[in-house]
Amino acid sequence: MKVEQALELLPDLEALAPLRALLFSISRTDDRGMWASAGPYLTVGKRDVSPAELRRQLNRAVRVVTDHVQKLFTLYVDALEHQEAGDSRAAVTALLAAGRLEERLGRLRQAESWCAVALGIAAGLQDRRPEVEALSALGRLCLSLGRYEDSARNYQRALALAEAEFDQAGAIAACLGLGAVALERGEWTGVQAWYNRGLRQAEAASDGGMLGRIHHSLGELARRRGDATAASEHLRQARERLEAAGDEQEVARVLNTQGQVDAALGRGAAATAAYREGLAWARRAERDHGLEVTIRLNLSHQHIDSGQFLEAEEEIRRTEQVAIGASLTGRLVQIYTLFGRLRGRQGEDTGFVFFEQALELARQLQCAPLVLAQVFYEYGVFKEALGQAEEARAYLERARELLEATGGHAELERVKAELERLTA
Amino acid sequence: MTRSRGAAPGATDAADSAPRRPSLRLLAVGAGGGAAALQSVRQWAAETGAAFEYTPDLPSAARRLAAGACDVVLLVLGDRADEELAWWADAVRGAPQSPRLIACVQHASMGLVLRAEKLGIVDLLSLPVSRDALTRALERLRAATGETGIPLPAADPTATGQYALVGQSSAMLEVYKLLARVAPSAATVLIQGESGTGKEVVARAIHQQGPRAGSAFVAVNCAAIPENLLESELFGHEKGAFTGAVTRKPGRFELAVGGTLFLDEVADMSLALQAKILRAVQEREIERVGGGETIPVDVRLIAATNRNLRDAIAAQRFREDLYYRLAVVTIELPRLRERGDDLLLLAAHFVHQFNQRYAKSIGAISDRALDVLRQHDWIGNVRELRNVIERAVIVATDATLRVEHLPEELRGEEAALPGAAPGGLMTLAEAEARHITRVLAHTSGQISAAAELLGIHRNTLTRKIREYGL
Repeated sequence: MKVEQALELLPDLEALAPLRALLFSISRTDDRGMWASAGPYLTVGKRDVSPAELRRQLNRAVRVVTDHVQKLFTLYVDALEHQEAGDSRAAVTALLAAGRLEERLGRLRQAESWCAVALGIAAGLQDRRPEVEALSALGRLCLSLGRYEDSARNYQRALALAEAEFDQAGAIAACLGLGAVALERGEWTGVQAWYNRGLRQAEAASDGGMLGRIHHSLGELARRRGDATAASEHLRQARERLEAAGDEQEVARVLNTQGQVDAALGRGAAATAAYREGLAWARRAERDHGLEVTIRLNLSHQHIDSGQFLEAEEEIRRTEQVAIGASLTGRLVQIYTLFGRLRGRQGEDTGFVFFEQALELARQLQCAPLVLAQVFYEYGVFKEALGQAEEARAYLERARELLEATGGHAELERVKAELERLTA
Repeated sequence: MTRSRGAAPGATDAADSAPRRPSLRLLAVGAGGGAAALQSVRQWAAETGAAFEYTPDLPSAARRLAAGACDVVLLVLGDRADEELAWWADAVRGAPQSPRLIACVQHASMGLVLRAEKLGIVDLLSLPVSRDALTRALERLRAATGETGIPLPAADPTATGQYALVGQSSAMLEVYKLLARVAPSAATVLIQGESGTGKEVVARAIHQQGPRAGSAFVAVNCAAIPENLLESELFGHEKGAFTGAVTRKPGRFELAVGGTLFLDEVADMSLALQAKILRAVQEREIERVGGGETIPVDVRLIAATNRNLRDAIAAQRFREDLYYRLAVVTIELPRLRERGDDLLLLAAHFVHQFNQRYAKSIGAISDRALDVLRQHDWIGNVRELRNVIERAVIVATDATLRVEHLPEELRGEEAALPGAAPGGLMTLAEAEARHITRVLAHTSGQISAAAELLGIHRNTLTRKIREYGL
């Protein structure tokens, strides 16, 4: 049975999300399937799933869910006991820990609810540090959800409180958060100001790891502004400090950004080498599948841009396998969007199936509007390349609407430019 | 062929004492406490004329790979040997010069050996590494220098483009005869054959040699398109007919008017859609999704499938009446394994095609590489061969395709060629483990189905899988 057929029997309920994730993770495709004429267009919906295999794996999935719920319930009871004992600070810590648990599973809205409750209690405390923590957590979550204004508001409040309380770590985190929001909005001057402010504070605190992270952020800013020299210099400094601090995952992220800088300069071999080394660092650290998917996606982009379609195809398939195996279903939206882009470059009109699958997954998983906008943008470009101007315009307009609503200015400029090109 | 290069200055402690042999550059990676295990290897490598470099660190190994600084990576696997092997196979695939891998492990299960073979690992050595084992592995790599080039046959000048029919085997001659008879008629044709046997190529040939050659050839892959979109793809839709119907769009039937509509993987359609196709075939008219207008469609229909439609009818997954409508003439395509020397002709055709695309001038294939190609199972048939040749052409740097240019999966099969296995014939347990692995791959890992094919009880198979570490 195909996954798409199995999903028809599964109601669209939040409580069934773990079952849906299990269905995806146990789905398979055999070698014959890959070589069939439909093989190049294979998406998760077309993979095979066996009810017997699903039944065998049910207990494991239920155990994972039970463990998660048990941890949440325990943290709630902890919070309750602390509150009863008059230790509200500890109660806030427990509630924020519950939020982090949800966040780690990609349940951002649920995480937000926990943090909002934590903030409510923290706001009544004399010690303002728990409030700074709760506000920073909310800022981070809103940023991930693409709600930039909410994110900025939370980070601003966190910064004001942290500075008043001489909470240096809290202030640095808030500066980085505000910089990240401004980065998504394309407000380059604002980003630079926030990161510099964070940098000064981190230098004062002699926090090597944090300095490394801020240099990485500055490198990312320079990359987006097209200043490769400045980007490379910041990334070099970031790497130096992060290697010294032993932060392997962050080094992997720095190399990922370095790969993007090299790719933008047309230095394909250097970009590929940076991504590959990034994967090696990521492998040395505790395995973070999300990070691996990110680097592999960029590597695939690099292959597509340099016309290495075979390599791109293999790399995207490997990325898909990592995402499915690790139940990172949300990342499949990006993976299929990239697959669609590849097929577009190859002039294959059946590539539309990848965009349709990406949109279907984005709907099922209630992805952030920014993610959806990226799918519509790439779908529009794909249709345009095939000479289907009317459809291309419709998808690009949809992307523009979504970006205008969320305030993703950097992306919005790209969409507008494409629309103008289409009109011209 | 193993490349012959000088040792990188400063990076190695190469032995200059064996000038008669081609110098291999060996990069040993001992992450996770493997350093001790590799101490003696340094000395033995020097004695066999290999340049040796050691790195305990995975990221620096990745940097050396990116710099093209080695021909062979010797790695010590840790507790997660399976995962590490797969990671390394991936890492060297992307590296310049495609270095080969030799892995060392404390306890190798049969399953790990087979997986290593599948990934194209040259050898899996037991720790502590013995001098003999290392020498044998390096000799195997050097043996490739003995490959002899065979000139590729000239490409058939009439067989041009992506959809050329290539082959002179008797099985294909029968196909050509049938094709020549059916092409001038208006008959609906059903093409059957395994994946990758060239069903679309034959469909295009029928179209091009028929009376509708001047009009469109429109192909739809019914297995690729999600079920909920297939109807609108075939029959078109009106604007707003459903979410996502952003514009009015003609379907493939309409686009093919006057020409040929090729329905690939036709067995993958739902019964409901099969009924609609039947109506379109019988009445020669369609309705767009969300539209009330009837649109006449004059198309020649060619359908294809890799499944046995009679079985599908018996299982009530395919309409019998539609089958008889489609199978007015049936063409069966042979598997690549049944086409004998067509393999060489096809290889030559693809080399010619990709020479042009990638600006190469490959004119020969080594005897060893050809043996590997002949030995391979080709479950993906011609499509798989095309893919293998394309990859080989991309990585080849001179005028001959050699084993080293073939993908890892095929290079792994080199071990099974006569004279290739230094250990001689395999044991009964090895043969059994290999066969079980093949059957499991065939059933996509479904144990019950594999047990049925093997003719043993499920529990017995489960025990053997555990025993062999598959």
